[in-house]
Amino acid sequence: MYRKTIAVIFQLLSLTLYAQEKSTRHTLSGFVKDASSGEALIGANVYLKETMKGVQTNTYGYYSFTVEGSDSVTLMASYMGYVDYTKRLLPDKDYRINIGMQNKFIETREVVITGKKEDQNVSQPQMGKVQLDIEQLKSLPAFMGEVDVLKSIQLLPGVQSAGEGNTGFYVRGGGPDQNLILLDEAVVYNASHLFGFFSVFNSDAINNITLIKGGMPANYGGRLASVLDISLKEGNNKEFKAEGGLGPIASRLTLQGPIQKDKSSFIISGRRTFIDLFQRPPFVKKGSNAANNTYFFYDLNTKINYQISERDRIFLSGYFGRDVFNFKSADTGFRFRIPWGNATTSLRWNHLFSDKLFVNTSLIYSDYKFSFGANQESMQLKIFSGVRDYNVKTDFTWFPIITHNVKFGVNYIYHRFTPTSVEAKQDSTQFDLGGVNHLYAHEGAVYINDEWTVSDKFSVSPGLRYSMFDFVGPFTRYIKNGDFETVDSVKYGTNKKVAFYHGLEPRISAKYSITRNASFKASFTQNYQYVHLASFTSVTLPTDVWVPSNDRVKPQDGKMYAAGYFQNFKDNMFETSVEVYYKTMKNQIEYRDGAQPDDDVKNNTDNNFVFGKGWSYGAEFFIKKAKGKLNGWIGYTLAYTNRKFPDIKDGKTFPAKYDRRHDISVVIAYNMNKKWTFGLTWVYATGNATTLPVSRYFMFGPLDLQGIVYNGLPNMTSGQIYDIYGDRNSFRMAPYHRLDISATYNRPKRKRFESSWNFSVYNVYNRMNPYFIYFNNEVDQKTGTYKIQAKQVSLFPVIPSITYNFKF
Amino acid sequence: MKKTTSKIYVCLSFLAVIVLFYSCEKDITVNLPTQEQKYVVEGYIENGMPAYVLLSKTADYFAPVDSASLMKYMVKDATVIISDGTITDTLLMASPDIGYFYYSPNIIGQTGKDYSLKIITAENKIITAETHMLPAIPLDSVWFKIQEGKDSLGFVWAHLNDPDTLGNCYRWFAKRLGKDKSFIPPPGSVFDDRFINGKGFNFAFNRGQVPNSTAKDDNNDEAGFFKTGDTIEVKFCTITQESYKFWRQAESQSAGSGGPFGSTAEIPTNITGGIGIFEAFNPTFYTVIAKKPN
Repeated sequence: MYRKTIAVIFQLLSLTLYAQEKSTRHTLSGFVKDASSGEALIGANVYLKETMKGVQTNTYGYYSFTVEGSDSVTLMASYMGYVDYTKRLLPDKDYRINIGMQNKFIETREVVITGKKEDQNVSQPQMGKVQLDIEQLKSLPAFMGEVDVLKSIQLLPGVQSAGEGNTGFYVRGGGPDQNLILLDEAVVYNASHLFGFFSVFNSDAINNITLIKGGMPANYGGRLASVLDISLKEGNNKEFKAEGGLGPIASRLTLQGPIQKDKSSFIISGRRTFIDLFQRPPFVKKGSNAANNTYFFYDLNTKINYQISERDRIFLSGYFGRDVFNFKSADTGFRFRIPWGNATTSLRWNHLFSDKLFVNTSLIYSDYKFSFGANQESMQLKIFSGVRDYNVKTDFTWFPIITHNVKFGVNYIYHRFTPTSVEAKQDSTQFDLGGVNHLYAHEGAVYINDEWTVSDKFSVSPGLRYSMFDFVGPFTRYIKNGDFETVDSVKYGTNKKVAFYHGLEPRISAKYSITRNASFKASFTQNYQYVHLASFTSVTLPTDVWVPSNDRVKPQDGKMYAAGYFQNFKDNMFETSVEVYYKTMKNQIEYRDGAQPDDDVKNNTDNNFVFGKGWSYGAEFFIKKAKGKLNGWIGYTLAYTNRKFPDIKDGKTFPAKYDRRHDISVVIAYNMNKKWTFGLTWVYATGNATTLPVSRYFMFGPLDLQGIVYNGLPNMTSGQIYDIYGDRNSFRMAPYHRLDISATYNRPKRKRFESSWNFSVYNVYNRMNPYFIYFNNEVDQKTGTYKIQAKQVSLFPVIPSITYNFKF
Repeated sequence: MKKTTSKIYVCLSFLAVIVLFYSCEKDITVNLPTQEQKYVVEGYIENGMPAYVLLSKTADYFAPVDSASLMKYMVKDATVIISDGTITDTLLMASPDIGYFYYSPNIIGQTGKDYSLKIITAENKIITAETHMLPAIPLDSVWFKIQEGKDSLGFVWAHLNDPDTLGNCYRWFAKRLGKDKSFIPPPGSVFDDRFINGKGFNFAFNRGQVPNSTAKDDNNDEAGFFKTGDTIEVKFCTITQESYKFWRQAESQSAGSGGPFGSTAEIPTNITGGIGIFEAFNPTFYTVIAKKPN
């Protein structure tokens, strides 16, 4: 395989040499930016009108391609929501053309939810890639007025919501830990605020959102299911701007502007909830439950960039967010404080070796922390967990000739995991809880990916990624017997190898155009994932811990085969597609039956895991109206996701909790005029799979024998009921469906000041969607009669909200 | 100690519930498949007391429940045999006015003995189990303490010196004389010495209540507390690892009772051919009078 890689590189090199020989070839290159703010436009299409051949800009807005011949050509650039750019020129030498594009939204207020080069869905070999425009998402209904990117992407086919009140999402039968969520290249390990009701991404600070749900190119890796790549704004380098908003949950403020005009700019964006500000006197009584239990979250995004020269530019960006929950029981004196959150920093350096070779080097720090501090009387307890990464990567984008766009690079991550660690003491007695428990690993990858336009009809994008994971000491392996009791332990010294895994990850996607408006695409993707998320509950919580692959936990191994047919109608006004996929996932984890949270203490978390495999398949249907005052889409997904674990229910196949048979999303935007925009979303999903009890029994516990002689057996109803559960996930809750609507009123601009009001109604017809089911034992002591009643808990009824946004 | 750890997770669960300020619930109908009935064994041997066994069958989840129909699930026609290595005795059926259980006036619990249980049901199904009576590990001291911020309510505290051998397991019961009919285990009544091996430490337990209690002091501010004036009898038992695992999971199940945070795992049993527990345990008793500090 190694030899083959070298061969491919050589072949590519010879192509360039060939390219350089011909003196009639010249390079057109430059950056594509928003003309008014200077923000990079990522994924913009730059092409020649004559041949319709071209490239997409990279993450920094850079493009480059070679033109042949000496006739004059028309350079075109197009980007969602922007006015097309056109320039005629004679390619007699290499040209650096920086393109400034005008935002169409500002002029016409026309909202198109997703956008791109008109026929890109048909013409690109890439499958399952969607770009969303944040400005435009703002006109869709928002839950409690908070525009949330993680909620928005769940409206796409193949992307399913993990449930109400949960920002976790499932892509094509993958778990929430199988999505690679990147914020300016830094991995975000827990993307949720408020136990998952809101995502950590502040929409005001975001420039671009790209979701890849299949056919992941080789420059991404480390997760099985998808990539959600979020780029922060760079900051306006033309003029100072402020924008903000006030909603029922949080308020936001963003400031941005040039440090040195056209060369350097900054952005700072903050968001905070304010419920807790009212949870103190004079609003509530001191010492009351409301004052004792407070909750808030905040986050802060900052970024500065500086253009050192025509060829060099640096960016420094940071994210810091925390959720804090305080609790004090007036009754028992039991109190605790739970802070958790992410911090990320990225330092990036763009350098142009030549017009054809762009390189970016990043130093990234990412940290997720959860901690729980409690005390009661003389007892003190602290629980903490987290992940910290130091990450270095260099990515090259090489545009040798117009038919090739080559990406290659290298990446190294130093991980430090903290699976659940507990410290407890009482007065001076320190309990033996195994102490702070850090796990260390080195992860590395090299990759190369080429987008090759073979002919007008056929293009192919082959890629190869090699990844490795080295889990090293200090590490203690607790050895358990069949009863999960520790019988021995093995200690590994610092940097001593505990486990090493590596593998090749070939990727390929190809497109064949049947007509100009119709194409057939297929792809294969191999992924390895070396980190695993372990969850005790059926909902995603900040307590879920990340666990690295080690001597017991093998890397997750995913293979996906996908094929699709894409066709556009009526001059690209309507886009339609049908995609099918089949996916296998090896080395999946679950907690063993009966594992309890304190089993993780003074133990290797993975000793409580069982291992098995999963597979999923499905079909996604998509129809979209991409143009006009009324636009939007309908997506339908039919999917099956199963799991099989030898140690769960005797190895019977069971549906994964991600199994969702039917999933429908309808998204409509209507731009009535410059002032008013209306949005509507409707979602329907098959009910969640859950495990329910099927029979029950009574137990009395040890009897008070002497008492019995005098009193007889206690009443039967004083026994405790215990349940026997049915097959895992064999029960379906009622289907989930919900309609949301919104209206946005844009006040006409006065001088510099712009503002808008967003009115949203969540769950318009007040559907009581199931969150979970439980059984209530109602007992009548007098008659000794029990009644067992199934109860369904629903989270959110109809909720209207108003958000005010401003900009100047 | 154990109490606090498990409390954390209970609190975490509550957390999520607290923030659900909008949540609401409704009654629904759930269709559950009919299951094959299993035998449920409760066999107990306490030091110095006669061995006894309760035998019942599992019920369909929504089967009617009242005292009369519950009696139908009690198995009255089985042959129950217990051996302590020396004596093998077929247990007697107690008089129906006392209750449906089997007992042996001949097998009296004794430290260090191994016990085996054999049940032959009317349809000739064999159920077996084994257990062992461990030596009692006593508490150092037991006292009542008023909770900070309370006037007359508090918890019972104790000091335990855990022996330096790993694997000791304990269970706590308490009874207020004149108020409680029997010894009641509070939530989280079992703990082991995984984290406290060989250490001496203080711990507290709140007051347990019988399931579905409608007693006034279980449904007002006194719930979970002992009160000055109470005479409290504490029964502190050394139990087997199997008992610990059984009751730990059982208590976790009754605390979670469904929902996204509840455990759906089966309770680990030491019964072959059925479910439930056969256990020998060794208690020590303490009496505490709850009063205000002088």
